[in-house]
Amino acid sequence: MSLLECVGLTKKWGGVAAVSDVDISVASGEVVALIGPNGAGKSTVFNLIAGATKKTAGTVSFRGERVEHLAAHALARRGLSRTYQITCLYPDLTTVENVRLTIQARESSRMNPIPSRAMLARTTDEAMHWLGQVRLQRHAASPAGVLSHGDQRLLEIATALALNPKLVLLDEPTQGMSLDETRGTVELLHSLLQGSEMAVLLVEHDLEVVFGLAHRIVVLDRGRKIADGSPDEVKASPAVQQAYLGVGHAAS
Amino acid sequence: MKASIPVLGLLAAAPFVLPGFQVSLLTEILIFALFAMSLDIQMGYARMFSFGHVLTYGVGAYITAFALMNGWSVPAAILVSFVLVTLLAVPIGWLCTRASGVAFAMLTLAFAQLGYAIVFKWNSVTGGSDGLTGFVRNAGPFGFEGFVSREGFYWLTLIVVAGLFFVAKGFVRSALGTAIVAVRENERRASAVGYEPRTLRVVAFVASNSLAGVAGSLHAGFLLFVSPEILHWMLSGHVIMAVILGGAGTLIGPMAGAALFVLAHHQLSAVTDSWPLVMGVLFITVVIAAPKGLWGIKTSLQSVFSSRKEKRMEADNVTP
Repeated sequence: MSLLECVGLTKKWGGVAAVSDVDISVASGEVVALIGPNGAGKSTVFNLIAGATKKTAGTVSFRGERVEHLAAHALARRGLSRTYQITCLYPDLTTVENVRLTIQARESSRMNPIPSRAMLARTTDEAMHWLGQVRLQRHAASPAGVLSHGDQRLLEIATALALNPKLVLLDEPTQGMSLDETRGTVELLHSLLQGSEMAVLLVEHDLEVVFGLAHRIVVLDRGRKIADGSPDEVKASPAVQQAYLGVGHAAS
Repeated sequence: MKASIPVLGLLAAAPFVLPGFQVSLLTEILIFALFAMSLDIQMGYARMFSFGHVLTYGVGAYITAFALMNGWSVPAAILVSFVLVTLLAVPIGWLCTRASGVAFAMLTLAFAQLGYAIVFKWNSVTGGSDGLTGFVRNAGPFGFEGFVSREGFYWLTLIVVAGLFFVAKGFVRSALGTAIVAVRENERRASAVGYEPRTLRVVAFVASNSLAGVAGSLHAGFLLFVSPEILHWMLSGHVIMAVILGGAGTLIGPMAGAALFVLAHHQLSAVTDSWPLVMGVLFITVVIAAPKGLWGIKTSLQSVFSSRKEKRMEADNVTP
């Protein structure tokens, strides 16, 4: 049974179908990438799954439960975490507090009005551990807003992963990064996901990132799914070559 | 926090050395400080601007007046008004937090004006524009006279205000308090990790308003007179000024701002009728020159000095 099962996702803006009849499934521990040329509907599909956009038709099931009516905080409690294409952090809070608030959110004492040093120390320690994973410890005490763009993207990934989700939705994690930063992030994600049960659904422009990480690739073009398979199958698909990779790329 | 013990000690000893009218002035300062601190919980920590913070203040004062009229002891009157105001704040908070930003501010103003109108018109119960008077600070069933005198009531006020300050201090550091800050900083991020913004806003509203109720309650016990004036929107404005003057989001800052406000009012109104003009100029200066308020100035001065000290110590270490 798949972790995430989307059937017949459709979104119409007025008469225009941004997404029509898309099926996507993600199994536990699987890394699935969603790619397609500009305007193919990747971000729309992503927002339909995350509940940020209301869909016209179709169903989204997460761990066997229909989740399309749930708000973002309820999805988070069920183990679905996400990052945003445009960085979404607490810019005035310290870097470590950004991650600590995520860890606190999954504890049962997250609504406790009585201060607890033990809880604070434990969640801070774990937040430092996550900062170590993305190599941001040295910025722990700086406000998140002063970090470089690349570091903010890494912090956002750490914030999403610290929730220990079953599935994490990554919306263009390397968006706006330099080539070096992108390569570093791919390696980092690779090592973080190694041996983890966490599943990933990734929207990404950068094909190097996609082919470096994904077990399976779903290709959208003009709101329709045109391919769904292993990276090699997708590379070999004539429809994909025509729509996305371009003839020149296919020849090489 | 190191300063809190000597400050509390000085405040506790004040009635032994100060003349009576200054004890009254200190009581007024403490009450207004609690009122400003209560607003800071929603304004500073949740960034919910309330233009109707007088509502719970005024209702707390009237409930206390009724309780004292019925012969309740002072602490019991404060306690019952705290409980009732908290219960009132839940539905009002739930309704107001349906909106945010300016709409939220207008809703709080609307509720406060509603309260003002009811108190003003309901002559038979609230005494209308004349207000309520003729009640005293009762000793209560156990005959404990400690809080009846001017000095006694001052000490009670000091105990309540200091106690609630430490409670609020703990609250903003707790999981719940930091979650409220998370929603303030980025609602989308906070809900994406599992915090419920609406619930947390209601919590901030209720916490803030229940403390405002206690401040109003102390006000009634202090002046032994309540009138619709304490539900007037201008008082909501004054308390916002105190919070911004002192520095929102620090708890202690707004208390200092409130003290400054009350003192300036007392000193300036003796000299000139246009004291609001002076306050206005001060307010504009602070907003433009020190957006973090007077407490923000103190904090940044402190950090300048401590970094200098560190540098000196480093220099000392390098040159043995």
